[in-house]
Amino acid sequence: MSEFIQTVATGLSMGSVYAVVALAIVLIYRSTGVANFAQGEMAMFSTFIAWSLVVYFGQWSLPLDMNYWLPFFMAVTIAGLIGAIVERVVLRPVEEAPVLNSVIVTLGLFTLFNTVAIWRYGGIAKPFPSPSFFKGGALDVGPVVISRLNIGVFAMSLLIMLLLYLFLNYTKLGLAMRAAAENRLACRMVGIPAGRMLTMGWALSAAVGAVAGILVAPIVFLSPNMMFATLIFAFAAAVLGGLQSLPGAILGGLLLGIIQNMAGTYIGSEIDITAAFLVIVLVLLVKPNGLLGRRVVRRV
Amino acid sequence: MSRAALRPRVLGLILLLAVLAVFPYLYTWPFFGGFLDEFRTFQATRFGLWLIILLGLNLLTGYSGQISLGHAALVAIGAYVAAVLINDGFMGQNVPVAVAVLTAGVSTGMLAFLLGAPALRLSGPYLAIATLAMIIALPQILKLESISFAGQDINLDVAHWTGGVQGLLLDRPKSPGSLDGLVTDRQWLYYEVMVPAIIMTAMAANLARSRVGRAFIAIRDTEVGAEHMGVNLALYKMTAFGLSGLYAGVGGGLFAYTEAFMSPDSFEVIKSITMLVAIVLGGLASIVGTVFGALFMAFQNEIVDAISGLIPSIDILKGYLPTTKSDFERLRGAVYSVPLIIFIIFAPGGLAGLVRQVGNSAPTWWQGARLRVTGWASLVGLATPRRRTGPDSGPTTEAAHDPEEDKRD
Repeated sequence: MSEFIQTVATGLSMGSVYAVVALAIVLIYRSTGVANFAQGEMAMFSTFIAWSLVVYFGQWSLPLDMNYWLPFFMAVTIAGLIGAIVERVVLRPVEEAPVLNSVIVTLGLFTLFNTVAIWRYGGIAKPFPSPSFFKGGALDVGPVVISRLNIGVFAMSLLIMLLLYLFLNYTKLGLAMRAAAENRLACRMVGIPAGRMLTMGWALSAAVGAVAGILVAPIVFLSPNMMFATLIFAFAAAVLGGLQSLPGAILGGLLLGIIQNMAGTYIGSEIDITAAFLVIVLVLLVKPNGLLGRRVVRRV
Repeated sequence: MSRAALRPRVLGLILLLAVLAVFPYLYTWPFFGGFLDEFRTFQATRFGLWLIILLGLNLLTGYSGQISLGHAALVAIGAYVAAVLINDGFMGQNVPVAVAVLTAGVSTGMLAFLLGAPALRLSGPYLAIATLAMIIALPQILKLESISFAGQDINLDVAHWTGGVQGLLLDRPKSPGSLDGLVTDRQWLYYEVMVPAIIMTAMAANLARSRVGRAFIAIRDTEVGAEHMGVNLALYKMTAFGLSGLYAGVGGGLFAYTEAFMSPDSFEVIKSITMLVAIVLGGLASIVGTVFGALFMAFQNEIVDAISGLIPSIDILKGYLPTTKSDFERLRGAVYSVPLIIFIIFAPGGLAGLVRQVGNSAPTWWQGARLRVTGWASLVGLATPRRRTGPDSGPTTEAAHDPEEDKRD
């Protein structure tokens, strides 16, 4: 029984990272109908920026763990800028085009960010720091032992989710962004600049993705391919949850983390990805719009 | 199309076939020996098998509009079927290569037809993920030896057939003994790949213009509309998957035979993406475009070399911008992803679409391109949108408009 709880607990930690990246994906999908395959690579690139900043700030010793947090916030801001530029320059033109075009553009961005990162930073995995309170021995929580890093990642993910929830439900800007995602024309009529809101949406999503990247980097080590597995699982999580629904993305991410860990423990680690995807395909067959998605009826 | 318009086209095709027929011997001739060698023949062979593989993907993605990131998985399955049949034979009998490749094609096609059934319920990004799942899971399955379930070991020795992580080695293709001295091994291999490639290209070209091809395009453009006009959605979607599987299987079988090596990592996700890139650069829903795409797949290294040769190495830029050849070697992905994004924004018809427009009339092509660039600039906020109300600007837009990029829903 304790093995079971242990598996679930470890799964939750990884699942929470999937959930955060899935949130980033859903944020974009809801507003523009674009499935952003480059999400993970953008996050990876921002994490590399964070890494160079950490190295740069390493020459001074700053109080309050600022050697970590200053680069953290700077990198997240830069990530937001990158997201906004990407939306403006390459995605705006294909917005009205068939889905295939936008999928291909994001796949192009995927390879672009990936190869530029390999060129600038090299392919070798680097250690990435984590804030000082993530460090130290494992904690005994009831029947299970969890590393501080796992707890920290889980807590940070929950914090991000909470902040996103508050932002989208209780701030004017957040509500305007939701409105722009919901109905662009009506939005313009009441004076919300819908186009600008879409750009903001990409910026927000890229920033959230960057946080996820910085969170997983200490676990998987920093390398140009570090986000690849995470992206695929996050995508699967978003699809599982319904691609339209933010709570669905969280649910999907956590479920997927648990399923992957369960399959690894009880069936064999060489089959974990396959098992996770089998579950997704089965869910999609029963509910083609995901667990919490709604059916979309389109006019022809 | 009138007879007069048809004839140069037929002549061109005959000329092309003639060149393809003698291509492996060209390098032995005095003039061509300067720039062709046996390796080029081998590259042409690779071009042939990529052509087959990409035709399948273009039938599925370009014509029927079903995004597939799992095409490489189908190719891998075909390759393994053929490789196992060629290596181990069937029931103690040796299997001829042609039979092995055909079996690979038919079995992969049937598998893909069945895989198309779940795809009926999925579309767009959902379909992309489901097909992505296929290619992600496949290497794990191919390396499988046994799994334990609820404490019990279940013997699932897939690796026994597929060679596991090491993959499978095949004998290098050899020319038949009766033709000794007339044809070298590589020349023979060229014919073995190019003949099926030409046949399957002709098949695809005819198919695209037939009832089936039109049904595919109708499904891509509007599913509800197609169904309304009496297209059996389920049947045609599954047929599209089945056909793409058939092409992938034959191409994969030839791939295993040509490269004489297969491993679970020969076909990864990135291969699937590259294949998609190739057909978009070449031209979606176009046979000529697929040919361009196959050229791209076969000559990637040369293309990267050519681009890196264009940019001289400037010392000031060193470290900030890619300047040296090794920079471009590492930036290989960017070398084609940047053109990819530019193409999909400014020329969604791919190279084939550009060629067609230039062929129609150069000035309109130029004006069309200018319109697209200014349109993009105003979209991203680099220029103020100009109102297009003049009586003379209307027809230009119309003429430069490629019918393929009509809004599809």
